[in-house]
Amino acid sequence: MIKILIVDDEKSICDLIDINLSAAGYQCKTVQDGLEAIDLIENGNFDLILLDIMLPGADGFDIMEYIRPLQIPVIFITAKHEVKDRVKGLKLGAEDYLVKPFDVVELVARVEVVLRRYKKTASTLTAGDVVVDVEARKVTRAGRPVVLTNKEYGLLVLFIRNKNIALFRETLYEKVWGDEYLADSRTLDLHVQRLRRKMKWEDNLVAVYKVGYRLEI
Amino acid sequence: MKFLYKILLWTIITLAIALGLSGYFFVNQVFETALDRAVDQALGDSNILQFALETAALNVPTKYDVLQDIAVQEISANLERSSQGSGRLLRVSDEERKTLYASDGFTEDESLLESIADDTVIWQILQQEDSYYIHTGIVVNTMDRNLYLETMENVTRVFDERSAGFSVYRQMTLVMLVSSSVIMFLICTVLTQPIRLLTRATKRMAAGDYDYRARQISNDELGQLTQHFNSMANALEDTIGELRGEIRAREDFIGAFAHELKTPLTSIIGYADLLRSRKLDEEKHFLSSNYIYTEGKRLENMSFRLLDIIVTKREQIDPQPVEADIFFRYLKDMFAGNTEQELYTIYDPGTVYAEVNLLKSVLLNLVDNAFKASSQVGVVEVTGWNTERGYAFQVKDFGVGIPEEELQRVTEAFYMVDKSRSRSRNGAGLGLALCVEILRLHRSELFIESAVGEGTCISFEIPKKQLVEENGGNEEEQ
Repeated sequence: MIKILIVDDEKSICDLIDINLSAAGYQCKTVQDGLEAIDLIENGNFDLILLDIMLPGADGFDIMEYIRPLQIPVIFITAKHEVKDRVKGLKLGAEDYLVKPFDVVELVARVEVVLRRYKKTASTLTAGDVVVDVEARKVTRAGRPVVLTNKEYGLLVLFIRNKNIALFRETLYEKVWGDEYLADSRTLDLHVQRLRRKMKWEDNLVAVYKVGYRLEI
Repeated sequence: MKFLYKILLWTIITLAIALGLSGYFFVNQVFETALDRAVDQALGDSNILQFALETAALNVPTKYDVLQDIAVQEISANLERSSQGSGRLLRVSDEERKTLYASDGFTEDESLLESIADDTVIWQILQQEDSYYIHTGIVVNTMDRNLYLETMENVTRVFDERSAGFSVYRQMTLVMLVSSSVIMFLICTVLTQPIRLLTRATKRMAAGDYDYRARQISNDELGQLTQHFNSMANALEDTIGELRGEIRAREDFIGAFAHELKTPLTSIIGYADLLRSRKLDEEKHFLSSNYIYTEGKRLENMSFRLLDIIVTKREQIDPQPVEADIFFRYLKDMFAGNTEQELYTIYDPGTVYAEVNLLKSVLLNLVDNAFKASSQVGVVEVTGWNTERGYAFQVKDFGVGIPEEELQRVTEAFYMVDKSRSRSRNGAGLGLALCVEILRLHRSELFIESAVGEGTCISFEIPKKQLVEENGGNEEEQ
């Protein structure tokens, strides 16, 4: 299981990230103090660290110095909009940064990307009897390959990565089509229906009233 | 045209006219004097000749009753001979004004001869070619004859001297003009230097170099102008600095405000998203909604504080006499629940002229800050005493202290010395800013002394009522 350390001086934000990443199947530990964070990092063997910049004890930039020799990927969480702060973070060796306030879906996606870059995550996603090989871009259900269009594949990956989360139509559309969502578009529903049929997910991929869809597994 | 050249040009023109006129009059004066002398001499000579002629005529042997023309001619020739070398010419004419004797080169002009009458000497200046003569005429009465004696005295020298004088004077004038122009140019350059320095200063300042000042090099009116210009520039620079500071403070404020908004907003948005898109168990559901509630409260708190500051900035207060005792009892009550940290109050009884609730808020903020800066078992001392001007308060802690370089900024809105620490204790960095505004209404200000690791001591003095009113009145007048 992948272990993620969340360092932020705000308990509310630590818990928020914890809940979301735990739901996505990661094991999380939260800490609010910079010095404590350094202790944990040195003993903890984490796969990824989410790091706030302004911290009591030692700030995020200081902590980076301890993380670098350990080769653990870091995502900065910052409320600062200024480019120079973000550049400083990236120069210090951060893999990515998140600007507060951030979207949960975005958080999960970025964590996923960074982990994949470090080959820490399995290159396959599973949901019940469905297995997706992200690198080979192959989908099998109960061991038999399933042929999907590009959009269907995108939807599938998004649903599996966000299991048990109601995904909004807007989010789905924007992530898969990369366009702004038009309120009366039926395209999304058509694709979801086809995906549901191909994956035999008639009971799992449920429509959430006025929201969108949720994969329940 | 440059001011310098204007002065120079007018000086030269004036000088040229003055020199020219004075030279003309002087040379002429010298000439007139010399000419007068020459005329006097010519007239004197003329008289002498008249006398000599008369004397000579008497000495002629009186063969005849009448003086013969021949005799006159002889006498005349003798007279001329005797005065050889003086350059004097003479002519003698008879009653019919016919020439009896004339020296070589004597003028043919008969006009003077025509006007000789009676016994008086008449004269005129005569020009012949390049030479000038004094032409005199006189009647000689001798031996029943009326003869006319004319003389011509050469005075070319006097005229030559005049033209030589003019020529010398012209050269002198020219030299004087050139040399005085050079000198005037130098003088004007020095005198107009302050103007050039001022001009340079205005140019530099117009180009945005507000630090530049004109150098003052004299104490005259231009020097004073420079001085006034510089003090005006100082005042302007101060104002510009203040404005810039204000703009920067405002930008910082907005930046800090936006930043402060983000943390609670991240929580609220994140948890709300969690609630709407996920099936959460009861515990997490409560946790999420509770976070939304508390973070919302924090935002509310922050906006109220901000509102307080903005309102306080505009408000006028009506200070009332209040027993100092009230404030200390209020603080005791407020922090009675603090079991680990202790609040000591030492104070003189006295009267404070203040708006009770606002001043309570100041003290509460300061004491609260003091506790936040102190360790878990810290002690905070609040003291109060009467002063000449009114009543003074002091809040002292023995906590972390404020670094010197931050002292200036601690009263800025959203400014926090230990940023994450104060935020984790639910501070937004607005407390001291609010205190400053409230104290400003009371004509008072904060004095902060601090040493890192030793603690902080904040004091302020509330002036008496009349002082408050006096100052209040002054401000309205301004």
